[in-house]
This record gives sequence, C-alpha cells and structure tokens, in this order.
Amino acid sequence: MIRLEQVTKLYPHRKEPALKQVSLKIPPGQFVYLTGPSGAGKTTLLRLLYGAELPSHGRVVVGGADLSRLAPGKLPLLRRRLGLVFQDFRLLPGRSVFENVALSLEVAGVARRTIERRVGEVLEQVKLGDMANAPADTLSGGEQQRVALARALAPGPDLILADEPTGNLDPDNALAMMRLLVGDYVGGATVLVATHDPTLLSLVRGARLVHLERGRLEEVG
Amino acid sequence: MSRVGRKALGRAWRQMGEDMWLQAVAVSTLTVALAIMGAYLTLCLNLGNAASRLLTGPTLLVVLSPSAGAERGQELALELSRLSGVASTRFVNKDQALVRFRRQLGPQAQLLDDLEVNPLPDGVELVLQPGAVAGPQLAARIKNLAGVAEVVSGRPWLKRLERALAAGGDLAVALGILLFLGVVLVASNTVRLAVHVRRRQLELMVLVGASSSYMRLPYLVEAVLQGIMAAALASGLLWTLFNLLAAPAALPLGLRLGEVLSFPGLLPVALAALAVLAGVLGGFLGVGRTLRPREMV
Repeated sequence: MIRLEQVTKLYPHRKEPALKQVSLKIPPGQFVYLTGPSGAGKTTLLRLLYGAELPSHGRVVVGGADLSRLAPGKLPLLRRRLGLVFQDFRLLPGRSVFENVALSLEVAGVARRTIERRVGEVLEQVKLGDMANAPADTLSGGEQQRVALARALAPGPDLILADEPTGNLDPDNALAMMRLLVGDYVGGATVLVATHDPTLLSLVRGARLVHLERGRLEEVG
Repeated sequence: MSRVGRKALGRAWRQMGEDMWLQAVAVSTLTVALAIMGAYLTLCLNLGNAASRLLTGPTLLVVLSPSAGAERGQELALELSRLSGVASTRFVNKDQALVRFRRQLGPQAQLLDDLEVNPLPDGVELVLQPGAVAGPQLAARIKNLAGVAEVVSGRPWLKRLERALAAGGDLAVALGILLFLGVVLVASNTVRLAVHVRRRQLELMVLVGASSSYMRLPYLVEAVLQGIMAAALASGLLWTLFNLLAAPAALPLGLRLGEVLSFPGLLPVALAALAVLAGVLGGFLGVGRTLRPREMV
C-alpha cells in the first residue's frame, strides 16, 4: 500500500533535512503507529503520503502511484482513496455534521441519495447518528474528532492517515477515538497513526511500530 | 444545463449567500466599474450619432435672391439634383427656415416674436454623395445659375470633423478596451478576495480530493452572477443619472441636454454581456494558480 524508498525531504529554510533517507513498506490492511517526538518529521512523512509535499530525493509510492510522477490532475483521485484525520479536526465552521461528512463524497461526485445513506451509516458508526443536523463547531472536541473520522471513513478509503488524532482529546475520548480506528469500521483499510503519546500504543494488539527521530526512521516492533 | 453546471450554479449560489458582505463589496465595486464603462459607451454613442447627423446633413446651402420666388426655388432644387455628385436636394422656403430656427432657439424663441418681417431667405439644401467634393468650381457653377444669391459651403470644416472623428474613433476604441480591462481586473480581484476569505474551506476540499475544476467552476459562476447583478445596478444608476441631468439642463441656442443626448436602450444588454465576459475572464485570472491541489495544502 505504501512504499518509501530512500526518501529525503529538505526545506529551504532549514539546515537539517526533515527526513533522511527514509525507507518504509506498509502492506495493505496493516495498522502502523508512527511515533517520535515533536519535530521528528512525522507530519512531513504524512504530508508526503497525501501529496502535499514532494520528496527532495527518493520515491514515495501510495496505492501503486508514484507521487513524484503523478500528474496534478490525478492527485485528487488518489486523495479520494485516502482518509485524513488531523489533530485540529479541520471541520467547516457553520456547517452541520452531515454537511461536513458529506463533503468527502460530494467532491467525488457521488449521487445525493447515496451520500445521504452513506453519511447516515458512518455517523451511526462513530455514535453521532442523532447529531447529523447539529452545527459541527458547537460539538465537544471528542465529538468533532469523531465527525472528522466519519468524514475520512465515508468514501471507504484504502488508507487512513491520522496525524496526532488524539492530541486535543482527553484520555476517555482518546481511547474512544482509537477504538474506532481499529474496529471493523475502517473496513480493512491500512491505517497509519502518527503520535507522540506512548499510552496509545498498547491499545492496538499486534500493531506495527515505527519510530522517527530527527528525520531518521527505525523499526521498533 | 448539464448536471455539473447545475451543481456549480447551486454551489455558487450557496456560497454567495454565506458571505453577504463579500457579495456587497464585490457587486458594488463592479457596479462602479460598469457604470463608468456604461457612461463611456453612452457618450461615445451619442457623439457618434451627432457626428453622423452632421456628416449626412446638408453640405451646401444655396441662398436664393429675394426676387427668385418659391417656384424658381423648386425648379432650382430639381436642376441641382441632376448635377453629378449630388445625392439629394431640398427646397426650404423662408417660413420653413424660420420655424426651424425657432425650434433651435427653444425657450429663447420668443426673441423672434418682435420681428416684423422674416429676415431669412429661401434656399436649397444640397447633400453630396459620399466622396464628392464641393470645390470652388461647383460653387461657382451654382452661383451663376439664375436666382442664386450666394452659395454657402460647410464642407471644409466637415472634412476636418471627419478626420477628427476617424482619429477619435481609434482612440475611443483603445480607451474602451482599457476600461474593459479595468472591469476584468476588478472582477478578478473580487474572485481573489473570495478565494482568500474561503481559503480554509478550499484547503479542506483539496484534502478530501476535490479536483481543480470542482473548486474553480463555482467561482466562475459566482463572478458571472455578480457581473449580471452589477450590470443591472449600473444600468439603473446611469438611467437615473441621465434623467436627472437631461431634464433641467439648457444648452446654448435653447437646446436641452435630453434633446442632444439619448439613453441607449440596449445599454443594459451591452453591459450585461460585457459583465459576463469580464466575469469569465476575471474568474479565470482571479482563481489562477491559487486553486491548484498540490499548492493549497
């Protein structure tokens, strides 16, 4: 599902590379924790995976597509196969829960009836079935992150990339969030969760653990 | 309308409703730009019409001697119409000339009431064919005809007017294009502003896989809709201004501004067409590089 080959990422304003010759292979369906302190390069690695950045050197292949060679017009098609979850939720203010979740289906041109059915399903999965019409920005942090997860899950993605998804949540909500990410809900998708919170690691049995330290990747278990 | 077009229209309408202040800024700015453009078009059209009236009017006036009489005037008109280069002739007797003069004086026409005798002569007006020259030979030939007192030629200054209009026409087109580019610039800046205000929403769309065209199309539609609204407002504004100016203003010779100028009936349509074109061009320019999926996140 994911293949990184000797990936280095340099930024013009930084002396040290954000990522140094990182190689990583993640097969389909695997659950992977990407750990490391703040500034280790976790977010950079995720941004490379969803095509917000291009590597300075090396190759990034996601779902069979080499992102360095991908035509700009094909990038949105790739992103429709991804589910992205961020620490700051990134919901549309002033829009309802339903509208926020439906967004990922609307941009793909999915028919209205299908959108209504699918959004209803994922909102039930994240336990927000009765809040579809509520304005998203009036919900609690935990609820907003579940809306973000529902938005990521709605198109039935092959790969879920979560960047510190529990960073703004209390321990109970963080636990609930992680349960949703490892449950049947993700439908066999590959999941990559970047976190610097060691307490989360024990929540997923058999999860693979990779660690980033100053831009270098090491396999932990 | 295609499904994609309907959806883009729906999204454009919706996003316009969400940012009313932004719409107010965009539409009012465009209204001012289009009103300037409309005023310019009105002025050009009226100048063109006035020039056309002058150029197609009589180019030679044959003044008859007081003893010639109306019958000789009619004969002369017929005789002159047979000359080569003459497009048409018209006998104007002294009474008709006075009525015309009275009309030209407008409110000041009462000055003529004290006249005991009509001082104007009978005359024949000649319109020459395009390209024909009312040279001194023609004037001399006409002057030798029986009953002719004088030949007055308007040709020299009409020639100068023609030349000035030809040069002015090019300048007017150039200025018109500049004004239109100004409207396009205003339209593109309003789109840029809208993109800036909704940047967070657009970034999110990019992240969930929105294509470039999915994001761009509503902005083009929005620019066109704003243009149409602004064209309607600009037309209304110009019409009101035109009527306010035309009514009381008296010009020399008793003419009224409203009699010299006319409000072009097709101006709203022309402004709407220009606004649509400016909206499309401005939309393309305004969205430009800002809505490219890789550069937005």
